[in-house]
Amino acid sequence: MLLCVLGGHAQQPSNFYKGLVRSNGQPVPDASVKIDKKTIRADENGAFTFSGVSGSSVDVSVSALGFQHLRQALTLGKAGEVYTFSMQGRETAIDEVSVLGFTPVKEVNRQAYNVTAIDATKLYNTTMNIANALDRVAGVRVRESGGVGSNFNLSLNGFSGNHVRYFIDGIPMDNMGSSFQINNIPINLAERVEVYKGVVPIWLGSDALGGAINIVTSMKPRNFVDASYSYGSFNTHRTVVNLGTTSKSGFTFLLNAYQNFSDNDYKVTLSVADINTGAYSENIKLRRFHDQYHNEAVVAQVGVVNKPYADRLLVGFTAGKNYKEIQADARMKVAYGGIHRRGTTLMPTLKYQKMNLIDGLDVTVNANYNFGTEKNIDTLDRRFGWFGESKPNPGGERSKQLYVYKNNEGIATLAANYKVTEKQSIALSSTATTFKREGENELNPQANNYEVTKRTFKNMMGLGYSYDVKDVWSATLFGKYIFQSNKDGDRPTMNMNRFGYGLATTYFLDPEFQLKASYELTNRMATAYELFGDVENQDANPDLKPERSHNINLGAYYGWKINEDHRFRIGGNLIYRYAFDFIFTRLNNNQSKLIADNREGVSTRGADMEFNYSYKNFLTLGGSLTYQYLQNKQEIEPGYTGVSPLFNAQMPNIPYLFGNTDLGLVFRDFGKKGNVLNVNYNLLYVHRFWLYWPTMGGTSADDKKREVPGQLAHDLRIGYSLNNGRYNIGAEIRNIADAQLYDNFGLQKPGRSFAVNLRYYFQQVK
Amino acid sequence: MKNTKWASLALAASVSVSAYSCKSDSPDLPTNKGNYVLAVTPIASTGVADYLVTVDNLESGSTTILGNGVEQDGTYRYYVTHNNKFFSMLYGQGNPGAVTTYSVQEGKLKKLSDFQSETVQAFAPVNEDILMLKIPRSNTNPLANYYKVNTNSLLISGEGTLDVQKVAGNGESAFFTWIKQVGSKVYAPYMSIQACCNAAFETAYPDSAWVAVYSYPDMKLEKVIKDNRMSFVGRYFTDGLGVDEKGDVYAFSSSIGTKNKVITSTKPSAILKIASGSTEFDKNYYFNVEAVSAGKNITDWIYVGQGKFVVLMTTKEEKGAYESGKHIGIVDVYNKTFKDVTGMPDLDLIKDITTNNYSAKDGSAYIGVAMKDATSFVYRINASTATATQGLRVEGGSITAVTRVD
Repeated sequence: MLLCVLGGHAQQPSNFYKGLVRSNGQPVPDASVKIDKKTIRADENGAFTFSGVSGSSVDVSVSALGFQHLRQALTLGKAGEVYTFSMQGRETAIDEVSVLGFTPVKEVNRQAYNVTAIDATKLYNTTMNIANALDRVAGVRVRESGGVGSNFNLSLNGFSGNHVRYFIDGIPMDNMGSSFQINNIPINLAERVEVYKGVVPIWLGSDALGGAINIVTSMKPRNFVDASYSYGSFNTHRTVVNLGTTSKSGFTFLLNAYQNFSDNDYKVTLSVADINTGAYSENIKLRRFHDQYHNEAVVAQVGVVNKPYADRLLVGFTAGKNYKEIQADARMKVAYGGIHRRGTTLMPTLKYQKMNLIDGLDVTVNANYNFGTEKNIDTLDRRFGWFGESKPNPGGERSKQLYVYKNNEGIATLAANYKVTEKQSIALSSTATTFKREGENELNPQANNYEVTKRTFKNMMGLGYSYDVKDVWSATLFGKYIFQSNKDGDRPTMNMNRFGYGLATTYFLDPEFQLKASYELTNRMATAYELFGDVENQDANPDLKPERSHNINLGAYYGWKINEDHRFRIGGNLIYRYAFDFIFTRLNNNQSKLIADNREGVSTRGADMEFNYSYKNFLTLGGSLTYQYLQNKQEIEPGYTGVSPLFNAQMPNIPYLFGNTDLGLVFRDFGKKGNVLNVNYNLLYVHRFWLYWPTMGGTSADDKKREVPGQLAHDLRIGYSLNNGRYNIGAEIRNIADAQLYDNFGLQKPGRSFAVNLRYYFQQVK
Repeated sequence: MKNTKWASLALAASVSVSAYSCKSDSPDLPTNKGNYVLAVTPIASTGVADYLVTVDNLESGSTTILGNGVEQDGTYRYYVTHNNKFFSMLYGQGNPGAVTTYSVQEGKLKKLSDFQSETVQAFAPVNEDILMLKIPRSNTNPLANYYKVNTNSLLISGEGTLDVQKVAGNGESAFFTWIKQVGSKVYAPYMSIQACCNAAFETAYPDSAWVAVYSYPDMKLEKVIKDNRMSFVGRYFTDGLGVDEKGDVYAFSSSIGTKNKVITSTKPSAILKIASGSTEFDKNYYFNVEAVSAGKNITDWIYVGQGKFVVLMTTKEEKGAYESGKHIGIVDVYNKTFKDVTGMPDLDLIKDITTNNYSAKDGSAYIGVAMKDATSFVYRINASTATATQGLRVEGGSITAVTRVD
C-alpha cells in the first residue's frame, strides 16, 4: 500500500506551494487540509506546504476546530506561490472540543503503538480511582480482591500481574509502596491515563510484555485548586486536594494530598463454619467485620519551569502511610479478626525535563528512593469465625508474627529522544531499579539470626528508531537489553541477560481510518514481589524464570459520521502471543495464598472490539468486548516423560470473555446557563469461567466443579457542575442490581453501594 | 470512503468470528461406578485441584479425570475412610479448611456435608471418631491441638491441647508422626525436633524411638514408651505402626534423624514390637530390615494380614529424610523375612508410588503407581508370591490415593 502512495508521486514533475489558513486575518492553528486525496496538517501558525503540478486544478478542503468547513477548487500557479484560505468561525465551537478536536488524548491514540488513552478530566466529578477507569477500556479487566485498599490484578489482553507495568509521568510505580497504587490513586490526580497494549514504547523503559499503564499528571503552568470530598457506603470517605502555582519567574510548587478511608464492611454470602463444631451453614449473608483500610499521602514538589537549562526541574517528597486489616485468606475461606498491616512511604523524588537541550534533543531524568517501613501483625492467639466470635488458638491466627521490614526500592531513569530530521528520531532509555528487603519477627528473636537480606538489581536499556510521516504512517524499530541480578540470602547470586526487539507501525488510510501492526520479542523479568513474596497473601518463588514471548498485534480503527450530528468510531484488535516460561499467578498448594509460577509455554489468541457513537453533544454510547483464549503449551511436565493431558488445554481461572457498555447524556445549561448535568450509565459483563483446569473432572451439577459465575454489574453516575465547572456535585450507585460480583479467585466484591462527591475547582491561567 | 467503512466492518466482524471459533470438544465420559474411590491429581504441576473417581474393579479396565471425576478444592489434600464414609481434607498451613465427606451410593460419590477443620498433621479413626492433631513446629508454641470429629454427626465433638514439650521432656518438642488406635488407647509415635533455628525438624536425639500413649476419649498422656535400639517410629506424615490380627503392634523406623542437614541416626532401619495388652517395647523382638534387604530402609508400609506388610523402600544411596521409596518389598514380621517384589515397572519409568493404599487384609494390597509417561496404574501386590500385577489404568493424572468405601 505504501508503495502505491509513493509511486503516485513519481508520475509528473511537481512543484511546492505554500498555504495559510486564516480567519479574520488571524492564523488558525492545526487545521486539517485535504488537497485532492492527500491530507496535510497545518502547523500552529496555520501554515502548510503541498506539492502539485503547475496549471492543474485541485480540490481543497480545510477543516479546523471551531470553524466551518471550507471547500474550494484551486488552479495551481507557479512554483512557490502562497495561497490563503479564510475560514468562518462557528458559534458552537466550544461544544465540539471533545468530539472533533485532537485533544492530547486523541493524539496519544494516534501513536504507532496499540494505545488507548482515557481522558481523566471527564471523570473528575466521580469517586473513581484509576483502576475503575481502566476497567472500561477494551481488553482491560481489573480484578480487585475486595473494597477500598484491596489488592488488584489487572489483565490486559490476556496478560496480567506483572506483565503489565505502571507509570506516573513515565516513572515506574514499582517502588512507590502500598500507599500509592492504581486502585487507591484518585482519578483527579491524572490528566489522562494511557494504556499501551502489547508493545511498550522505549521511553517508558520497561520490560513489561503485556503492556503498560502511564498516568499523566498535568504540567500546564497555572494556578489551580482542586479539592474534592466524597462519602459513600461502608463508611467510605475520600478527600483529594490538588494545589499548584507557577510564578512568572518560573518558580513552581505542586501539592497533592489525598486520603481514603473505608470500613469495607460490605455484605458477603458465604458458607459459614461454626468454629467449635465445624458445622457449615450455607448461604449466610453477613457483614465483613475486619476489613478497615485507610491511607493518607502527601506529594509535594517544588522547582522551576521554563528555564534555559530545564523545562521542568522538580524535587519532591512523597510521604504516605496506610493501614489495612486483613479479613480473610486468599480464598475467603477463613476469617481473621486481628491480622493487619501498616506501611509508610517516605520517598524523595527528582524530575528533570528539557526539550531541545541541543537542537532536537529532549532529555528526561527521574530518580526516587523509598525509605518506607512495613509491618505485618498477627499476634492474636485466636481463631475467628465469620460472625466475629473467637476461641483460643495457639500460634497466632495464621502464623504468629510481628514482622517489621523494609522494602527499600529505588529507581533512576534516563530517557533521551533525538529528532534527526522532521521524520526520523532516535530514542534511548536506561532504567535502573533496586530492591532490598530486610526484616525481623519481633516475637521470635531466635529466628531472626536466620533472616536473610533479599535483593534485586535490574537495568534495562532500550534504543529505538522512529520514522514518522505525520498522518500517513509511522514506524518504530527498537531493541531492549535487560540485565537482572537476584540475591536471596546465602543462595548463589543469579545473574541474567536478555535481549529483545520489535517493530511497531501505524498507517492512515485516511485521517479517520487507521491501521496498526506490531511485532515484539519481549522479555519480562520476575519482580521482587514474585521472587520474594509480599509477606501477606503472596508466597515467594525465588526460582522464577524470566518470560520471553512473541507478540503480534493487528488493529484497525475507523471513524465516520452521518451529517454533522451522528458520529461513529469502531475499532478492533487481533492479538497473538506465544510466551515461553509464561509467568502467571496461581494458588499455592494449600490454596491459602497466591504464588507466581512459570508455564513452559502459553499461547494467547484474542480479539477485542470497541464501538463509540455520539449524537451532537448530547449523547454518547460506547462499548467494548474482549475475547481471549489462553492455551497451555507445556507439553511435558517436570518429572514426566509423556505428553501432558493438559497440553493445549485452556488455562484455568482467567476471564476470557468480558465487555462493557457506557451510555452518557449531557444536559447543558441545566437549571441555569453554564450549569451542566451529566448522567452516565455503565454495564460491565464478565462471562463465567472455571477456577481450575476446564478439561479436568466432571461438569455435571453433581460434580460441583468450581467456577466463578457470570457477572453483570450496572453502575449509574450523575454529575452536576455549576458556575462553569467551579463547583461540582456527583452521586453514584454502583452495582445497582446488588448482584453477586466476584474477583480474584472467586473473592466477593461489594453489593449495591452509594457515594456522593463534592468538588471545587478553580484555575487561573497566567 | 464507503469502501473503507465496509472494509473496517468486515475486519471487525472477522475479529469477532475468530473469537468464537475456538471451542473445545468434550471427551466421551466413562461410566465407571463402584466402591473403590481413587484420588487423582492432574499432571500439570501444582496448585490445582484433585479429582475423585469411583471404580468397581482395580484389577483391569481404565478410568480418566478428563471430563470425569468430582473436583476437590486443591491438591494438598488427604483422604481417610471410616464408618463407610470418605473424608477429603485440605492441608491449609496455619489455616482451617473444609473437610468434605462423601458416601458411595450406587457406585457414585454422594456429598454428605462439609465441615471446617484445622489443618492437621496426623489423623486416624478412633472409635466412632476421626482424631486429628495439629502439631506445632516452633518452640514458641508448646501446644498441639487435637480435634475429635464424630463420623455420625460429621461435626467436631471435642477438642483440647497436648503439651509437646512436656511429652518430649528433653528440651525439644515431640512432633507426632502419626496416631493409631490400639485397643482402647491412642498410640502416638513421635520424632523429637528442635523446633527452632530455621531447621525445625532437626534433632539432637536421632537414635531413639518413642510412642506417647493417650487414653481415649479424654486424651490424657498415660506414658511415653522409649527404646534405643532404633531411631524414631515412622516419619513426617507417615504411619509407622501396624496392628495385626492378635492385637500386637509393630513399628518401623526409617532411621532418618537429622542435624545440620545430614542424617545422624546411626541405627539401621528396623522393626520393633509392642505386644498386645502391654505398653512397653518387647525386649525380645528386634528385626533389622537393612540386614535382610541388602541395606534398604522402609519409608512406608501397609499391613496385608498374617504378619505381612507391603513396604516401600529406598536404597542406602537414595535414603533421605523426605525421600519416599519406589522399591517394593514384602516384610514378614513373624518370620523376620524379606522378599523383593517382582513384576513392577522399571524404576526409571515410575514417577511416584502412593502411600495411601488399600488392603482387605487378605494377603494383598492395591497401590497406585504414577508413571513418568503421564499415565497411572493400580498394581496389585500379592504378599505370598511377592509379585506385582498391573491393573486399572488412569488417564489424565497421577493417582494419589486408593481407598474403598462400602
